[in-house]
Amino acid sequence: MADNTPTLRIENMTKWYGDNEVLKDASLSINKGELKVLMGPSGGGKSTFLQCINFLVKPDRGRIWLDGTEIVRARKKEIYNYRQKVGMIFQDFNLFDHLSALHNVRIALVRVKGMSKGEAQDRAILELDRVGLKSYMHQYPAELSGGQKQRVSIARALAMDPEIMLLDEPTSALDPELISEVLDVIRDVRSGGMTMIMSTHQIGFASEMADEFVFLEDGSIVETGPPEKILYKAQYARTREFCSKITELYGNSFS
Amino acid sequence: MMESLSILYGALPYLLKGSLVTIAVVIGAMLLGLVVGISIAVGQVYGGKWLHRLASVYIWFFRGVPLLVLLFLFYFGLCSFLNINLSAFTVSIIVLGLITSAYQSQIFRGAIMSLPEGQMKAARALGMSDRKAVMLIILPQALRLSIPGWSNEYSIVLKDSAVTYALGVAEIMARAHFVASRTYEQLPLYFAAGVMFLILTYLGTKGLRILENKVRISGYSS
Repeated sequence: MADNTPTLRIENMTKWYGDNEVLKDASLSINKGELKVLMGPSGGGKSTFLQCINFLVKPDRGRIWLDGTEIVRARKKEIYNYRQKVGMIFQDFNLFDHLSALHNVRIALVRVKGMSKGEAQDRAILELDRVGLKSYMHQYPAELSGGQKQRVSIARALAMDPEIMLLDEPTSALDPELISEVLDVIRDVRSGGMTMIMSTHQIGFASEMADEFVFLEDGSIVETGPPEKILYKAQYARTREFCSKITELYGNSFS
Repeated sequence: MMESLSILYGALPYLLKGSLVTIAVVIGAMLLGLVVGISIAVGQVYGGKWLHRLASVYIWFFRGVPLLVLLFLFYFGLCSFLNINLSAFTVSIIVLGLITSAYQSQIFRGAIMSLPEGQMKAARALGMSDRKAVMLIILPQALRLSIPGWSNEYSIVLKDSAVTYALGVAEIMARAHFVASRTYEQLPLYFAAGVMFLILTYLGTKGLRILENKVRISGYSS
């Protein structure tokens, strides 16, 4: 990296639900082209953290810089612009149910980015082709499998030309035999140099792809480090215990 | 018997003209109810506390006061108090429209709330403003789900429209009443009026059923 400004920098992100502090001073910084994987037990704050990053959940405290520019939350327009640069993939896909695959990808290009319909259409088809679903472009979400839905949602995010993508357990809602088709697409996007923060339990995939593991528990970032270190030489007993359990469950790629 | 039938036959064009007035009142009221109802529903779901309270008072009022009272209140009361000159026809559309808007708002609100939360989240995540998300993502789905309830509301407003005869709107009931009281042929005339309402109910609900099938999202069964 010629310039040392991280693509995204998050400082002291904190979120309370009532009396419950679900995210405690989480800070993270990610450089262009990096993949950081959030790990940890369910309810540990991974999803809240990801959703706070693009303000789908309003953090109570915390600052965010994209390419060195701080996002001012009070300015709605600024948030809308920022979100266009931050692609989001949800666990349960969240495709727009009343729109075909093509229109799911196209709608924000036309109505948010202001592209012409023809240009947006071409781009949408290109992105659907990239995830291997060009021939499904006229299908509606209810006619697609879970794996196909998630691939459409990835195409929808990519079409916006995001600078970074947030993936919130992208394969957790999928039948086991559909997981690999989605992981293949993510791997492909990753090899294209996309900057990503992903939460997942797919430990094998994560350790093969990630630059860094971020272990979250009870809303706190407990430990960060390269995959091998977190998996085998974690500093904290709890991290070690979690990693050994999850490795047992999902296998790992180092073996 | 033959005489009754010939009177009815003679009065039929007059009654049918009344059905056009009925149709105009009902369509006007349903459309007003649609626009106001959607606004209230969106305000209730996405608006603040204050908007929610305002909507509650509005709904409480228009669901609580009888139609006849509201018609008189607006036509004889408000119009002369505010010194505005509105026809009975216009006032009927407004009053029926405001009442049905209170009911329709709850149909739409239920439909909006039945949509998965993720729809709104995904729209926001793409950089849509709340307004765009509601217009492009939420309402197109919620309105589809609302058609059966809306069809029900249509049949209620259609029947309620007969009450506007009390203001002298020349709809089906007013015309049937007028002929009946002149010819003393109450039975055939009120019967004919009833049949005309039945036909209009059938046509309207049938039309909405067709619309429902037409806009059904591919892959969904029901």
